[in-house]
Amino acid sequence: MDISEKEAQDSLEQIQAVSIRTRKTIAASYDSAMLMMWGLIWFVAFLGTHFFLGWVWPIWMGLSGIGCIATLVFSWSQSRSANPVKIPAAEKIGWRIFWFWSLLFVYIFLWLSILKPLHGIQINAFICTTIMFAYIVTGLWFKCYYMVWLGLGVTCTTLVGFYLIPPSYYCLWMAPTGGGSILGTGLYIRLFWK
Amino acid sequence: MAKLDNIIHQPARLQIMASLLALDPGEQVDFVYLRKILNLTDGNLGAHLAKLENAGYVKTEKTFIARKPRTFIKATGKGRDAFDEHTAALKKIIGGPKK
Repeated sequence: MDISEKEAQDSLEQIQAVSIRTRKTIAASYDSAMLMMWGLIWFVAFLGTHFFLGWVWPIWMGLSGIGCIATLVFSWSQSRSANPVKIPAAEKIGWRIFWFWSLLFVYIFLWLSILKPLHGIQINAFICTTIMFAYIVTGLWFKCYYMVWLGLGVTCTTLVGFYLIPPSYYCLWMAPTGGGSILGTGLYIRLFWK
Repeated sequence: MAKLDNIIHQPARLQIMASLLALDPGEQVDFVYLRKILNLTDGNLGAHLAKLENAGYVKTEKTFIARKPRTFIKATGKGRDAFDEHTAALKKIIGGPKK
């Protein structure tokens, strides 16, 4: 079979386009809801921390608790619904992800008890960058490269907030750049990758 | 030497194979979902899948989920090899390893 160089080029471009579209459509089905929810939680928690400083722990623990329960319920319902893609050993992978994140939070508290940060912004920046590190690792592991970029981006905004923004405005800065970035990524995937 | 594959080269089948190979080995995609991604009709997708299945490039699995019939499709090892060879041949025609 003989084809022209132009036809070969068109075929390769078509392969590339379909491959990207398939990965994006799958990501839109699974990841966007979780990103939007956690982005919203971060956004509200940062704003709440800025305006109600005395309520830092109840705000973060309460909203994070709601987020964790919602994540578990969502993952459980996804595993029982008619998923468009059947992944071998999906349940095993799901449990590994669950244990990875659970252990990460245990270790965050261990590291905080060892390092003994002096003030709230240090604690917050430490937790944010550690979670973004987990986003990057997860993204690399599952070839979800937008999570790698999101993780790197929010790490940068956290560092800018920590080093360059006056401490009293740190949370106000992190609400749109941290929570907003995660929420925005989820929204973008939901709207444009389907 | 890499050769073009007559079965895969047809545009709709090329898209089907490209989409299935975007998944990891062993992963299966729902027929309706694949139809939506590729913007094909039921009949069109079904006919092309039958050709690919006859060649041993894809495998379909019919199952019931929540009492509803579902068809899942995956690329076989033979299909993955054939697609890789086809893309290698295409790259050779344009004169380099770029994609």
